[in-house]
Amino acid sequence: MISFFNYFYKFSLGLVVILYFSCAQFRGPKYPEIIYNNKQPLISVKYEYGEIQIILPIQYDGDIPENILFKVFAKADTMNPIISFLQEAPSEFRTTLPQGSLDITEKTNLIKIIPQDENFDPVSVRFKGIGFGRIVLPPKVIRSGQLIISGKTFLKNDASILPKVKVEIKDSEDVIFTTSSNDSGFYQIAIPGEYRFSENLKIVVGENLIFKPFTQKLIFDNVRKLKINALLGPSRAMRGPLYITEKSNVHFKKGPDIGAEILFLLNKGEVVSVDRITPGSYHGFIEVEISGGENIMMEGWINRADLRELNLNSIRKVIK
Amino acid sequence: MYSIIKYSIGFFLYVSLACSQIKLDINTIPDEVDVYLDGVNLGTSPIRNERIIPGAHIFEIKKKGYAPLKYDLIVNPSKAVEIDFFLNPVHACKFKTKEKGLVFELNGEHYWDTDNIRLDLEAGDHTLRVFKASELVDEQNIKIDKPETFNYKEKKTISN
Repeated sequence: MISFFNYFYKFSLGLVVILYFSCAQFRGPKYPEIIYNNKQPLISVKYEYGEIQIILPIQYDGDIPENILFKVFAKADTMNPIISFLQEAPSEFRTTLPQGSLDITEKTNLIKIIPQDENFDPVSVRFKGIGFGRIVLPPKVIRSGQLIISGKTFLKNDASILPKVKVEIKDSEDVIFTTSSNDSGFYQIAIPGEYRFSENLKIVVGENLIFKPFTQKLIFDNVRKLKINALLGPSRAMRGPLYITEKSNVHFKKGPDIGAEILFLLNKGEVVSVDRITPGSYHGFIEVEISGGENIMMEGWINRADLRELNLNSIRKVIK
Repeated sequence: MYSIIKYSIGFFLYVSLACSQIKLDINTIPDEVDVYLDGVNLGTSPIRNERIIPGAHIFEIKKKGYAPLKYDLIVNPSKAVEIDFFLNPVHACKFKTKEKGLVFELNGEHYWDTDNIRLDLEAGDHTLRVFKASELVDEQNIKIDKPETFNYKEKKTISN
């Protein structure tokens, strides 16, 4: 029985081998390589480009310009903005730029904020870009441009330069800025732009001198710069001997007698040109400014005790 | 101090690299194909949410029964890139003739002189030239788009 199965197995195997080779002959040989035709492969590449959203909060300190021109520059090119637009003064500047338009390695990108109002100065914001996404920049404060007050300090008597004269800007009686003229008599003060609307802004020059200080109201009507030359002391019209009041509220009277009509109350530092002397009083002239900045001379009497002789070589107050 | 500087530089490089990477998706027809990027196996297609940096890269795709594909691509700085590869199939074909003494040449580089042969041919156009006694007796294009048997009968005819 076992020999029968062995025989059948060998017979079957031989048959399979014979059939295989017979069929192989029938199917033919196989070429040893795959034959390519080097056809260009079909490939599709799709890019998705991102966007850069820039958000710049804007804060206004005081006055608000009506319109603002925004210009965005990239990659240190400050000649050709990549985008610019004019809009009403916003609380937040937003814009969207295509990917790759900004320098992402250094702070060479720039937003220029140009208020369409001559009272404001343009400001810039430098920033480093990103490939894509959102940039929220620190808030930028827009404030009206500084107000500049400049001029020189002179002695009215001979128009000579007065150096180192104290100059103060006051809002009502609050001193908001103090400086002194230099050796050439020049001074310059910059104050914040919001003082443009103050109704009690004034300049006071010469608080450190014995004369009555020069005072002038500051009015910025469509200008941001004022030039004010301060003339201090007596004018050339005041002829000697010159005296000066030593205290405030000095009576400038019509006559030398007690009970005579009081014409003015003089402040400390008022210069009096004396021409007559009595045992108790001086008769002289003071300068009074009338409208239009013109000075007139007025005569009157002052108690001798309220005056001392003016020495133009010693006009600075002595700090005790 | 040195280690702080070293870690700072490392962190900076890591952040820079992470920021500059681009999302990469790869589709293939057919799918379930091994995809190699610059010699590194990315896995089996479709490939999703891989990362790639801008610059020159080489994609390679191999699958049995399809022509291997190698593609050089300069990847632009962008948010994402999606690449679709369409693999060209290789068809098992038979070529038969009853003519005697002919030598066949395919695409200028493959030769045979038997009257019955099996060929693995990439889909698309192939150029067949037939020689007899070293003389060109026929030249024609054959278009392969499925497994089929060609019977070369007469000198200038070929039929399925």
